[in-house]
Amino acid sequence: MSASVADIMCREVITVGPLESVARAEGLMRAHRIGGLPVLEDGRLVGIITSRDVRASHPNRLVTDAMTRNPVVVSPQLSLWEAKEVLEKNRIERLPVVEGGRLVGIVTKAALYAELGKYWDALTGLSKSEYLLERARCFLLQGREIAVLFFDLDDFGRVNKLYGHAVGDEVIRQTGGLLQALMPPEAGLCRYGGDEFAAVLGATLDQARELGLRAVARVEEAEWPLGIRISLSVGIVGGRRAAARPDGNWRFGVKELLNLASLACTRAKRQKSRIAVADTLQLVRG
Amino acid sequence: MKASASERRAEITLRLSEFEFPPMQDVLLVGKRAPIGPEAARRMVDALSPEQYEVLPLDHAVLEAAVIRKNLLRMVPAEKLLPFLLEEGGKIAHESAIVKAQVTVTVEATRTVEL
Repeated sequence: MSASVADIMCREVITVGPLESVARAEGLMRAHRIGGLPVLEDGRLVGIITSRDVRASHPNRLVTDAMTRNPVVVSPQLSLWEAKEVLEKNRIERLPVVEGGRLVGIVTKAALYAELGKYWDALTGLSKSEYLLERARCFLLQGREIAVLFFDLDDFGRVNKLYGHAVGDEVIRQTGGLLQALMPPEAGLCRYGGDEFAAVLGATLDQARELGLRAVARVEEAEWPLGIRISLSVGIVGGRRAAARPDGNWRFGVKELLNLASLACTRAKRQKSRIAVADTLQLVRG
Repeated sequence: MKASASERRAEITLRLSEFEFPPMQDVLLVGKRAPIGPEAARRMVDALSPEQYEVLPLDHAVLEAAVIRKNLLRMVPAEKLLPFLLEEGGKIAHESAIVKAQVTVTVEATRTVEL
């Protein structure tokens, strides 16, 4: 599964020199059907010139007089989600990828969004589980405590059987919206699959439990299609981060947390308690 | 009646003068869409008259930079000279233009001493 810039970047980058003309840059962009060129001087990235810069400049100008200096660059190890944040924060269309001071690739907004689309759930507008792993990794890299919540609608199969899948889909869509509205801004919420949702918080177990209780209450209070009643069970785990080394084991560790939260959720359903906290913690091991 | 034969003549006028290095005088005001940008102008003056000119970026509606002879800046600081240049140059300049300016500075000083 692609998760970093290196996986999707274009490695054969068309570049231009700072002392070439804007007309030459425009010709290169037209010939290769691309919207921007990194500008290299002695192998060093000194700027980027885009079709917008070309339109705003006289064709006789030097590229150096039309380009954007000190462009925003990223490393090949950056995650796709982080790259998206960089693009959106800077309102740019392409990211030169630099490693050891050398240009090694370029990522466009279109390529990035196309790849991220694979991790996006069209029904709820939420991300898929890869996003949860990415958010967990960010929290762990920051040395923060994490908690994972696993949400599952109760007896959802009955909704589909009694009212049809169109109503079932609407319930899932509405549940996604309710959960999203409850989440703190940094949280990673995803549709895990079917009527299951999961979230990772950079928070303590107590804070996660409080959020889980609010989610249960919100779902029970909500107005659902055809006046049907919907309830939610939540399994929670976390609160004892043991290690935060981004050495590859984090992914296994977070998946283990997710699994424990899922089992706790099953226990909540069985006990009809709506919420259960995993009591045996096998947390992230470096 | 016979038509007269047509005649074609050319007059050539030649005027010779000394070429200046660089082909500018004291100041160039560079428009934002001029065919030569500030960096090209800087490289030109550096190649032809090394270390004699300074390029100052401008915050102006149509002008991007001013290339000024350093000797001028030694006599009149940029913050005093630029407003005057922009006020007058801005009246005739446009985005695609490069305006050349000749600036003469005369410093007058008087001092009263006790006899």
